[in-house]
Amino acid sequence: METMLIFVLSLMLIFGFVAFASKPSPVYGGLSLVVSGGLGCAIIVSLNSTFLGLIVFLIYLGGMLVVFGYTAAMATEEYPESWVDNMVAFSMLLLSLLMEMVWLMVSGEVEVVMAVELFDSLGNYCVGQDWNGVSLLYGCGGWAMVLLGWILFITILVVLEVIRGL
Amino acid sequence: MSPYVTTILTLSLFIGTCLTIFSEHWFTAWMGLEINTLAIIPTTPKNPRATEAATKYFLTQSTASMVMMFAIIYNAWSTNQWTLMQLSDNWASIAMTLALAIKLGLAPFHFWVPEVTQGIPLLTGMILLTWQKLAPTAILFQIAPHLNMKILIMLAILSTLVGGWGGLNQTHLRKILAYSSIAHMGWMIIIVQINPTLTILSLTIYIMATLTMFLTLNLSNVTKIKSLGGLWNKSATTTIIILLTLLSLGGLPPLTGFMPKWLILQELINNNNIMTATLMALSALLNLFFYMRLIYASSLTMFPSTNNSKMQWYDNPTQITMLIPTTTVISSLLLPLTPLFITLS
Repeated sequence: METMLIFVLSLMLIFGFVAFASKPSPVYGGLSLVVSGGLGCAIIVSLNSTFLGLIVFLIYLGGMLVVFGYTAAMATEEYPESWVDNMVAFSMLLLSLLMEMVWLMVSGEVEVVMAVELFDSLGNYCVGQDWNGVSLLYGCGGWAMVLLGWILFITILVVLEVIRGL
Repeated sequence: MSPYVTTILTLSLFIGTCLTIFSEHWFTAWMGLEINTLAIIPTTPKNPRATEAATKYFLTQSTASMVMMFAIIYNAWSTNQWTLMQLSDNWASIAMTLALAIKLGLAPFHFWVPEVTQGIPLLTGMILLTWQKLAPTAILFQIAPHLNMKILIMLAILSTLVGGWGGLNQTHLRKILAYSSIAHMGWMIIIVQINPTLTILSLTIYIMATLTMFLTLNLSNVTKIKSLGGLWNKSATTTIIILLTLLSLGGLPPLTGFMPKWLILQELINNNNIMTATLMALSALLNLFFYMRLIYASSLTMFPSTNNSKMQWYDNPTQITMLIPTTTVISSLLLPLTPLFITLS
């Protein structure tokens, strides 16, 4: 039952990706990103990584996509182009849906591997492996945290430097 | 750009390459390459050609990073580990080779190199063609046992041919140096599975010679062959440096540039790749032809000019010429030290 759920969710995820890759107006692209993010979160949560799913919703959808939505709303035009306005986008959606159905019928058994182990390869007891990784990032992986902070800093610096004077 | 921003971007460029070279996990290697891409984007000026060049550079490097991430995750899924030196899955190593080929500017993914190099200033182009090659070559060096020789040969022969033929019709010096970069990357990648040390050696000598070329051209800000014709008047030593460096890049003995080509051809022949070696040596001649054209324009002939005096009456360089003598000596006089380089490997 759960493998069926993950399978259906991943099919819908791919369809969501096509929906923003067919490049409608950024407003509709943001909408498709929200849907794809939610579906991705559902896949992760059904694989027992609840923390990562929460992170997707809070940080990705609730932080980054909100900022993107505000900037897209500031720069939008009067009649944003949706999926049915452009023949190319619409046919891209239809063809991708068709291709997924064909693949579903033609491919053999699809296997979804769900390996939830409470013991890792050394025999140590580890529950909630996604929480484990985050705690390591604050502990012995502190250098990675500093590096990530530096990368975020130079990202915003690069963006601001590129648009300086424009 | 303010010096604070320049300092931070230069530091990030250095951090990115060091992170990739010193990493053993694929994520940190990928992170270093992304930092390199990001840190060089704002060093371009704001005119439309430079903006287009920066956009093309960013898009191609991002595509390459995406393919690399696919390869990394596929390898992690099928072999259950993230070690940099153990890219054992077949499909993953092929995808990684193609991703690194896009990053290095090998044919058939070479189309961005001339346009990007032409659109940016000389010194930024210098960093692009020399420093940005270090990190992907380091990754290639480490995954060398798992690479597919057929793909390497295809990339290398195409690159040397495209680099040779593509540079024949160019009059802008930055595009000529870009095609020279494509050809030399072809030489570097053919030997990476047989003797990876020669890849590093070839890269080092190529970087030294290209540094010399770019710094020398930057002295008088020449960017076209026409401007090269007036160089004898401004500073005659510059023409001598250009002559020596270009002959070294072309691979002529007794200059240093002969050393990597010689060793690479010897390793190829020792492994019975005689056809490959012949093709590479013949396509290096195409490179030599347009280098000779540059030498002809700068030092062997004098273009008609309106200047009546033979030389400039003062010799007061206003540019910093600190690195040029060092790199010129390295890129022209190092051939007798070949045994040292072999035994250091």
